[in-house]
Amino acid sequence: MNIEKLLFPTQFKELAFDTLETLLALRRVGLREIVLSYIIPREEVAFVPFGGYLKEEEERLRNEARIRFEDWQRVLSSAGIASTIVIEVGDAVPRILAIAQRERVDLIVVGRKRLTMGESLFIGSHTMDILRRSPIPVLVHKYMVQFERSGETVSRVNDRIFERPLLATDWSGPSRKALEFILSLKGVAAKALVAHVIGSKLSKGLEQSELLRIERESKERLEQYCAMLREAGIDAEPHLSAGDEVRELLSLSREFDASMIVMGTTGKDRLHEFFLGSVSHRMAERSELPTLLVP
Amino acid sequence: MSAHENIGEVLPLWSTIPFAGMLLSIALFPLLAPKFWHDHFGKVSAFWALLLSIPFLLVYREVALYELLHILLADYIPFIILLGSLYAVSGGILLRGTLRGTPAVNTAIIAVGTVLASWMGTTGAAMLLIRPFLRANAHRKNRTFMVVFFIFLVANIGGSLTPLGDPPLFLGFLRGVPFFWTFTILPHMAVAAAALLVVYFAMDTYFYKREGGAPPDDGVKQPLKIEGWYNLFFLLGIIGAVLVSGIAKWGEVSVLGVHRGLQDVVRDAALVLIALLSVIATPRTLREANEFTWFPMKEVALLFAGIFLTMVPPLKILQAGARGELAFLVETVREPYHYFWITGILSSFLDNAPTYLTFLNTAIGSFSPGLPEAEAIGLLIERHPLYLQAISVGAVFFGAATYIGNAPNFMVRSIAEESGTPMPSFFGYMIKYSVTILVPVFILVTVLFFMP
Repeated sequence: MNIEKLLFPTQFKELAFDTLETLLALRRVGLREIVLSYIIPREEVAFVPFGGYLKEEEERLRNEARIRFEDWQRVLSSAGIASTIVIEVGDAVPRILAIAQRERVDLIVVGRKRLTMGESLFIGSHTMDILRRSPIPVLVHKYMVQFERSGETVSRVNDRIFERPLLATDWSGPSRKALEFILSLKGVAAKALVAHVIGSKLSKGLEQSELLRIERESKERLEQYCAMLREAGIDAEPHLSAGDEVRELLSLSREFDASMIVMGTTGKDRLHEFFLGSVSHRMAERSELPTLLVP
Repeated sequence: MSAHENIGEVLPLWSTIPFAGMLLSIALFPLLAPKFWHDHFGKVSAFWALLLSIPFLLVYREVALYELLHILLADYIPFIILLGSLYAVSGGILLRGTLRGTPAVNTAIIAVGTVLASWMGTTGAAMLLIRPFLRANAHRKNRTFMVVFFIFLVANIGGSLTPLGDPPLFLGFLRGVPFFWTFTILPHMAVAAAALLVVYFAMDTYFYKREGGAPPDDGVKQPLKIEGWYNLFFLLGIIGAVLVSGIAKWGEVSVLGVHRGLQDVVRDAALVLIALLSVIATPRTLREANEFTWFPMKEVALLFAGIFLTMVPPLKILQAGARGELAFLVETVREPYHYFWITGILSSFLDNAPTYLTFLNTAIGSFSPGLPEAEAIGLLIERHPLYLQAISVGAVFFGAATYIGNAPNFMVRSIAEESGTPMPSFFGYMIKYSVTILVPVFILVTVLFFMP
């Protein structure tokens, strides 16, 4: 799974350009083009009550976005990466998904939401919608985050995100594709952490012998994954844990200093997710690390 | 709490200033300061509403509280619930397929929209058809007049036949006008629609030939298909709920001291339920393909909260007839054609829903001053139906005369402009289209139906 072309939608919030800069590391593993897109929310220019459409306002917003993007393009160009600009009016989520499909990108990179008082989630509803619906991988970038750790507020800057990716695998097809993504990071990733959590739901009620069998098989599989990574030139270490998947993965990512989390996702819809939950989506919401979900 | 029957006789004329301010804000801000208006219309609406409510409550206390609660519970909330449910349901119906914008096809689309408008609301019919209509004509050079005729017929005149069609008629229904009474407007609507469709077909044929005839065939032809068809059943549910509420009498319930018919409360609950079911049943991708957004409905809800609250004093004064401060208006407007034109002209500039209520109250104040509203409306229908027809036709038809005459006009304009169809300015629309095309049709309607 090589990332040759990616889509970078932005609302020009603070640190958007810093986020973009961190992606330049992918140039060494084949990134050739970035599609820069800005979606003007329809509500900002359309349906003026008893009026009409704010054409001049749309033009102003388009020009502002174009000027900012052209400045970014100079940096991308000097790094040897081609870029195109797409500015459209509409609803963010369907537009982003449509642009991704039209432009045939390999990855969508979305930013985190602005944190407000009392929040512990790192992504907003638009990002979650994209995660649920995208048929292609999505990286939820979190360039600068603040989070609680041991009762203290900690700030973290995620600026070298591809150095120590943590692959959280459940052995599914999408997990396998997530592994392929990390395999493509040779030369960028210094070390990969491969983790599997034997979930409480699975282990509850199991006989000791059955649990031991699962543990043994999991270790073997983790070793197989690590061997594949080492063969591809990426150092790797396995981590097996048990308990609540999200809590354990968060804990592993912190203890072993991961730089990002990479997971497969089955793209559950809202109803399914409400009743059954989705580990990958909850990880994207709760981890302070950039999270790449591969459908 | 109870209604103060004579409050209209004691209210000063200047108590109508917030209402005038509210309507003038709607008329002028989109024209003079559209960006400011777009960003702050809710605050403007709240300003006028508070300017009326605070002194009104301080001076008239319980009576004022009753009147404000009454208009909110008995008029505003049912009005918004009906608009919202029609909007939600029609936004779940998607017309896909290839339509080629020939004069015949375009005339057919507008004619279908005109018929649908009375059953799914002018907003619903306009939202259902405007995007397919624009797509069908994307290759055409002259598209502006097409959208204007679409506004005339689908977004306005088509909504004449039922209380679901156009907001003024629903407000009349809420106040006691029977559901099927509006069918008495059928001849008026048929004449206006036929005349406009003939003019449209002639204009479209002329431009079509001048542009070189047949549209380019890009080889991609998709059959016409309606997605979200099950929403048509929800639409039937809305029609049924409104109809039943107009027929059934299930007693009264008191909501915050305001007596409301149980059948009306049940209707409102049913409409909310139908809208919810439509939202749940319709895939989000279908609504996205329709470019559905709740934003216009939110705007209408905020603006009409201000309109309805500030409307209380003028309505009460008009209901007082010759004993109120607006006696001069009641005495000046006497003949049916007076009502048709004055209701119409004011509907063009001041939104047709409050204007309809204003002149409905003028008429009952003139014929039955001091009588309870429902009783007075019954007498008006029985003894002077021509007056109510004139008010209804004036309010609905003239809503087409300006962009601000009716809510769907601005939605259609906005969607057309977004898709790249140039639309005339506020005055350009009036001078080039309303005065030259609509006014002669309205004169014809006057001569045929409202002259003594």
